[in-house]
Amino acid sequence: MATITVPRVVPSPAEDAAALLKAFQGWGTDEQAVISILAHRYATQRKQIALEYEHKYSESLIQRLQSELSGDFERAVYHWMFDPAERQAVMANAATECIQEEYPVIVEVACTNSSAELVAVKKAYHALYRRSLEEDVAARATGNLRSLLLALVSTYRYDGDDNVDMELARSEAKIVHEAVRNGAAAGGHEELIRVVGTRSKAQLRATFGCFKDEHRGSVTKALPRGDDPTGYPRALRKAVRCVADPSKYFAKVLRNATRESAGTDEDSLTRVVVMHAEKDDMGAICAAFQKRASCTLEQAIAKETSGDYRSFLLALLGS
Amino acid sequence: MQQFLTQTGSNSSAATSPPASPQPRLRQQQAPRKERDPQNKEKEAPPAAMADEHQDLTRAFAGLGGLGVDETALVSALGRWRRQPEKRAQFRRGFLGFFSASAGAVAGIERCEDEYLLHLQAEFARFKDAAVLWAMHPWERDARWAHHVLHKAHPPQVLVEVACTRAADDLLGARRAYQALYHRSLEEDVAYRVRDANASLLVGLVSAYRYEGACVSEDLATEEAKALAAAVRSAPAAATKLVQNEQVVRVLATRSKPQLRATFRIYMELHGKPLEEDLAAEPCLREAVKCLDSPPKYFSEVISRAFSDDADRQAKAALTRVLVSRADTDMEDIKDAYARQYGAKLADAVAKNTHGHYKDALLAIIGK
Repeated sequence: MATITVPRVVPSPAEDAAALLKAFQGWGTDEQAVISILAHRYATQRKQIALEYEHKYSESLIQRLQSELSGDFERAVYHWMFDPAERQAVMANAATECIQEEYPVIVEVACTNSSAELVAVKKAYHALYRRSLEEDVAARATGNLRSLLLALVSTYRYDGDDNVDMELARSEAKIVHEAVRNGAAAGGHEELIRVVGTRSKAQLRATFGCFKDEHRGSVTKALPRGDDPTGYPRALRKAVRCVADPSKYFAKVLRNATRESAGTDEDSLTRVVVMHAEKDDMGAICAAFQKRASCTLEQAIAKETSGDYRSFLLALLGS
Repeated sequence: MQQFLTQTGSNSSAATSPPASPQPRLRQQQAPRKERDPQNKEKEAPPAAMADEHQDLTRAFAGLGGLGVDETALVSALGRWRRQPEKRAQFRRGFLGFFSASAGAVAGIERCEDEYLLHLQAEFARFKDAAVLWAMHPWERDARWAHHVLHKAHPPQVLVEVACTRAADDLLGARRAYQALYHRSLEEDVAYRVRDANASLLVGLVSAYRYEGACVSEDLATEEAKALAAAVRSAPAAATKLVQNEQVVRVLATRSKPQLRATFRIYMELHGKPLEEDLAAEPCLREAVKCLDSPPKYFSEVISRAFSDDADRQAKAALTRVLVSRADTDMEDIKDAYARQYGAKLADAVAKNTHGHYKDALLAIIGK
């Protein structure tokens, strides 16, 4: 269940564009006005507002927002303005620029979208950057990390859950177990990447279930921590967790981002909230967050962030 | 005989390697049969006319090379020699590829060769296949061909062809059709069933969703041409084969086609010969490069191979596949490429090498 709230009677795009211009004018910016409009509009409405604004005032709304706002708030609003496919394409492109640190973003985009959504992201990437996401990922990553990321990003998984083959799940659970045990020897990584990178999500969940039944421990716990400098083991674990239970995965990212001790990771926080606020799974993510943390997500955000950035995030969460 | 004339699907049945084409044997029979005829006891027809009749009949039964069956000749052949079973017996004794007197000697018959029955089945099915494939949605065609190749363990040429010559959205459409038909993704079946050295290249090629714009970076093309050259040079001493080389697979499976063509052009400029020449040891890789570089040239080669004497079952089936699948896309370019490469019009070559309704169907598809 999405968390953003949109007024029942929505002002026309022209009215919204005029209100935004008013917010930009004068000394400083009326950030609250910006939030009260943009944080309460769906993607199609935001697009119409941007078109109307550009048509009437001959400048790009996004660029104006970038100059009027600053810091984490500006980054959050910037990403929020895109529609879901473009937003993920922008985030993925930024991640390919420093793929050694930012590969989790790519794993998330590749593994938590449906096949059709992933194709939309890749089409948006073509339009924005005149290259394919696959070629950028392949050119920047190396070694096993490259093989894994490329497989995850290129795949067009079967989306149905009507063809889960339990015999196959058992045999592939065994393959995963062997690959994990033998590590780099005997093409273990190739088989792991093949299974995780091509099987349908329903089939993979069945495989993970069989693994747990056979070996009394989840796959993620069994995957090696490894000393592979390319980050492949971590990426593989993230991929497995994204496929197995995306809400739980994102809740963990949010918990890590809002941890008191470590300082707030605004980038991850923005990424998850902005990506999911208008998607069906935000409710599940909030619930998963609350289950493991001792507070609600809103409370954690209220505590760890401040100012307009906090207001914006809380508005997206429906507070 | 009836059961052998009903079709059970193109290129189906024989899970073993395709039998050697009976045609070469038949061609050799031409001379001996003519010599045997003068010893013939029949007095009604002079030996030369008898030989002609036999030749007509042989042609009618798809026995003189070429693809497809001459239905008209077959119909008139069926009307011949009414109430003259001894003439039919003579024909059977003379048509050594189709019938074997020795194999049936125990039963006192000239037994039908099973191989030839399969050959007939395939030849009769060509027209049916062309019509059905022509009617199908292109994505479903590609999905069915891919599935057939994977599940009959045929050479992966068709996979490379479909993956590299279709536009990005058409390849994606074929993958969707594959899922709708078989409830698995194409790449999961390729990854699972292809276990030889070509696996990573094939998975990469079928998974590609290439950028389709014309934007090309010469610097990048130069850099990647050099990387490919380095891979080719180090291949003999490397632990893995060239087709498994990560750089090679990465470049071929992810770059846009205009970018790849620039890379191939620069490779040629740097080394004085096209990349395909350096890939002679890796047929799968070479085919991928050919398909990506110039589909019309590749297709005209496939068509020409279908006409050659030693074409096997897959090579012959490729004729229908290429002509039907390219009729709406680059048929004119293929005609030009064929004329350039073989000095003959494609329509003429097809008319010469095919028979009957199959021929008419192909000529209609090729167009003027």
